[in-house]
Amino acid sequence: MDKILEVKNLKLYYHTSKGTVKALDDVTFDLFKGETFGLVGESGCGKTTTGTALLRMPTPPGRYDGGQIVLDGRDIIDLPENDVRKHIRWEKISMVFQGAMNCLTPVYTVGKQMLETLQEHREMEKVQAEELIREYLELVGLPPEVMGRYPHELSGGMKQRIVIATALFLKPDVVILDEPTTALDVIVQAQIINLLKKLKKTFNLSFIFITHDLALEAEVSDRICVMYAGKISELGTNGQIFGGHPAHPYTEKLLSATPLLHKKVDTLSFIPGAPPDLIDPPTGCRFHPRCHKVIDVCREKEPELKEIGTGHMAACWRCGE
Amino acid sequence: MNDNDKASDVILTVENLKKHFTPHAGLLASLGGPKRVIRAVDGLNFSIRRGEIFGLIGESGSGKTTTGKMVMKLIDPTSGTIVFNGEDVTSIHRQRLQAYRRRVQMIFQDPYASMNPRFKIREVLEEPLVIHRISADRRKRGEMIIKALNEVKMNPPEDYMGRFPHMLSGGQRQRVATARTLILNPMMLVADEPVSMIDLSTRAEILHMMKDVQRDLGLTYLYITHDLSTARYFTDRIAVMYLGRIVEMGPAEEVIDNPIHPYTRALIQAVPEPVTGQVETIKELAISGEIPSPANIPPGCRFHPRCPFAKPECSGQAEPELMDAGKGHFHACRRWKEIG
Amino acid sequence: MNLKDLAYWFNDFWTEFRREKSGLIGLAILATAVLVVVFEPLILPFKGAAASWRNINYWEDNSPNAPPVWTNLLPGKDSAVTGTIKPARVSEATIEGGAVATTWEFEYVYQYDLPPLDLIMHLRATGNLTFQMTLQRPDGKSILLSQASEHGLANGTIRMAATAYGRDACFAFLKQYENADRVGILTSSDMKVTDIAFAEAKEGMFDNPVAQKGKYRILVTAIGNAGTDKVESCEIIVAGRVSGLLGTDNLKRDLFSGIVAGLKWALLIGLFVSFVSVIIGVMYGIIAAYFGGMIDKTMMFIYYIVNSIPVLPILIVFSAVFKPSLMTIIWIMIIFSWTGSVMTVRSMALQIKEETYIEAARALGSGHARIIFKHMAPLLIPYSFASMALSVPGFIVFESSLSLLGLGDPTIVTWGAILHDAMLGNAMLNGVWWWIIPPGLLIAIMGMTFAFLGFAMDKILHPKLRTR
Repeated sequence: MDKILEVKNLKLYYHTSKGTVKALDDVTFDLFKGETFGLVGESGCGKTTTGTALLRMPTPPGRYDGGQIVLDGRDIIDLPENDVRKHIRWEKISMVFQGAMNCLTPVYTVGKQMLETLQEHREMEKVQAEELIREYLELVGLPPEVMGRYPHELSGGMKQRIVIATALFLKPDVVILDEPTTALDVIVQAQIINLLKKLKKTFNLSFIFITHDLALEAEVSDRICVMYAGKISELGTNGQIFGGHPAHPYTEKLLSATPLLHKKVDTLSFIPGAPPDLIDPPTGCRFHPRCHKVIDVCREKEPELKEIGTGHMAACWRCGE
Repeated sequence: MNDNDKASDVILTVENLKKHFTPHAGLLASLGGPKRVIRAVDGLNFSIRRGEIFGLIGESGSGKTTTGKMVMKLIDPTSGTIVFNGEDVTSIHRQRLQAYRRRVQMIFQDPYASMNPRFKIREVLEEPLVIHRISADRRKRGEMIIKALNEVKMNPPEDYMGRFPHMLSGGQRQRVATARTLILNPMMLVADEPVSMIDLSTRAEILHMMKDVQRDLGLTYLYITHDLSTARYFTDRIAVMYLGRIVEMGPAEEVIDNPIHPYTRALIQAVPEPVTGQVETIKELAISGEIPSPANIPPGCRFHPRCPFAKPECSGQAEPELMDAGKGHFHACRRWKEIG
Repeated sequence: MNLKDLAYWFNDFWTEFRREKSGLIGLAILATAVLVVVFEPLILPFKGAAASWRNINYWEDNSPNAPPVWTNLLPGKDSAVTGTIKPARVSEATIEGGAVATTWEFEYVYQYDLPPLDLIMHLRATGNLTFQMTLQRPDGKSILLSQASEHGLANGTIRMAATAYGRDACFAFLKQYENADRVGILTSSDMKVTDIAFAEAKEGMFDNPVAQKGKYRILVTAIGNAGTDKVESCEIIVAGRVSGLLGTDNLKRDLFSGIVAGLKWALLIGLFVSFVSVIIGVMYGIIAAYFGGMIDKTMMFIYYIVNSIPVLPILIVFSAVFKPSLMTIIWIMIIFSWTGSVMTVRSMALQIKEETYIEAARALGSGHARIIFKHMAPLLIPYSFASMALSVPGFIVFESSLSLLGLGDPTIVTWGAILHDAMLGNAMLNGVWWWIIPPGLLIAIMGMTFAFLGFAMDKILHPKLRTR
């Protein structure tokens, strides 16, 4: 498979008055053509930050502090903002932001809003543009009539479909989806997931799928990257992560904290404590204060992300055991 | 219902409960045509046994939260009765309502929103004591607060009393919210999505805590959620709601492992599971579309427009009532035998 | 909330408040203002300023439009300062015919470039008396400034101003030293009495008087019958060119006294009116929003009516019918201004009412009063304080607008009234800045003080704004 995006040692720091928040620290992964890459972890572990960083729009006061984002053989970190806006953002990489479906302007029809986005980037006749919009609406399973509707007349699922259609307009190579189904009911969620799978096949798209829900990642992502405290703790294929033998204790814990529908368990496990403050993260492995397999070396030295199987990486001192 | 043989064991009975909202229409709209009525809850029957965890499952718009609020007496039902501990509480006021609220307490979805952000934890927990005039002595109240914080495993309690809610983590806030309800020694708690705002890693911790408290204090829970997975883990019995009515009810495991109603089946099917090998498959969804507006409830069986097994009889005949399928498993599908 | 809880709460509040610099500044200014009000009798240079602000006679000994004393510190010519001189010595001498001459000797050290505008003698006397006032200059020359006889006085006051009584004597003095050709074409009314009396006696003293600096002595002699006639409390007032801490206005009133006397009214009007009207408005808004339905509709109906009453015409009619007093003005301001915060508060309260914690409080069994006072009102306290702080200067200005229309209370002096007089007296055109800037600045400072207090409280009572 072709590599479409390479992220190398990406560092994104927030320099605040209280100190430097290392929101992303040495994040490295590749994205292949036609795959869904899952980013998973607790809130505040850097999932969304990674998404916006790839779009070259880090949340202020975040600043790139090293690393590369290579797209089409070019590092986009140092590109001038104008180039990024013209050639990268939405053209090559687009994003469905968390809660985007609630950010549609209530005073314009959906069609008008989609038209505006489209004409921002492409010079085309209104008739042509509307034709394209209709085509994409059909693609996401909506009738063309919704163009004339206002957002409040549509259900959550329909709005989310519109947001997805808007992200696909310009035929980007990579679409970042940040919690696209969180606010939706299970049945609608399943419908959206099915839609995404269909779109991926049809367009050979690459998705980066951000969620806190491991079960959802198991359904959609070919490869999954588990993040903790701004770092990657484990990265592997769907089978490696969900096949019963995750390598990192954090992944293990997250999995056992996920309640299963078809299995009655007496006690669910949970991870005690909370993710660390990234201004002053713990020494050694950042997960060690909450880890059930902690040994002395974990407290002192930070483990490297190393390959423990084909395409299976983990950052844990006890992986080999 | 088959609870008659152990009637004394029933703590809450809800009979034919309805809540209809009439939205404010413009002057012109109100002149012509019939009034638009939103039937949020439309004929609900269930009873909860003492010491049981009863789950009310439904999607948004199913009326589960409205039901919780009616049980909590935060809104008045349009019709129907609520009987708590042998007493009809449907339209109680003042002293009796006050007494009822000492017995029945509520945990809200967003623990942060449910606490006045200007109150310190101490004041948050002190509030029920002051409202119900439990003790006029500040020191005594402090002791009761410490006891309640201990019950929800906030250790050491003194550390938290001077903090504001925004200085706590989501899990800690939900513990405080639980402690606030426990301080009055209630008999029943209504918990509306208590863990949906909490990170997955600590969700189980809170559920554990709630379960421990329930066991220790012999509480009854009405657990309202959209999440079948936690419901299975947490509850004894569940009722699945669709458009203001219960379509299926029974022991949690029984309902989830052997669902009868097509809606329950679809719901269960749609839940993602953390097992590998599903990426390439498009999940078969038995039902399409979304839950219709409660202002426009379909005639007959209200699920029939989305039901894959619907026959003309489903829309033509009266709405099916809950039927017993044995083992305490009830459902409201008239074609259940045919669809197997 | 019992007393102990209140103390506990206040202690908490104070610990936090101490950290807010701007709040402390505001508190300090407010405390100073309160101290000034409390010690007003000690601070006032003119004790009767508050009572006699509009009594022209009270101020007759001052100079009009005199700049503040401290303008002497600025580069340029120094001007004589207004002041009162107490007699240094009193002597009595019996003269022929059984009469007694009582002489008061005053010393005046003159070291300015520009002479005072007048020398005024005051005394109280009984009987038939003859008075004399003589100026003895440092160069040994002397001028008889005035001489007059009064009959049938019964503890009457005598006021003798050099400019009124000493004109001829001074003109004679001028003639003595000035070039005869120059004087020949002059009359006494061309000359300023004090210019000549305090100038070096030499040619050209009329056109270019040079200040004769040094120690002057003023002798006041009263001649009357021993036993029957009595004279007491003799004093000299030097009406200088600069006067008091803040100068005088065109009616010779000491502005510093006016401003000090006006402070208590500013505080009273500003605080009381804004406090009462904001409290009424806030409670009105909360109650309307909280209960909703018919209560809300009725309350809003009343609100719209009150809000749409034109205040000025009503006030004009009102003042034509009644004699305006401070209290009536205050109540009128409250009646017409409580509506100011209702709409904002109502919309905020409608929002707060939907908060989950309000529902949670109800679920816990809270009554309406507890929800309104414990959960909703505290959230609006920051807004209320900001609103109060911002309306304080507004009410001070409103009061002065009333003064402008002749609807103010004529018996008191307010900053607004001072500004209003300044406007009528063309202070701006005449360059009498000390008439406008101090009251204007003080209105601004009072506003700022309350804004500082408001913001500091906002920070403390609004935890989301906290940085820790």
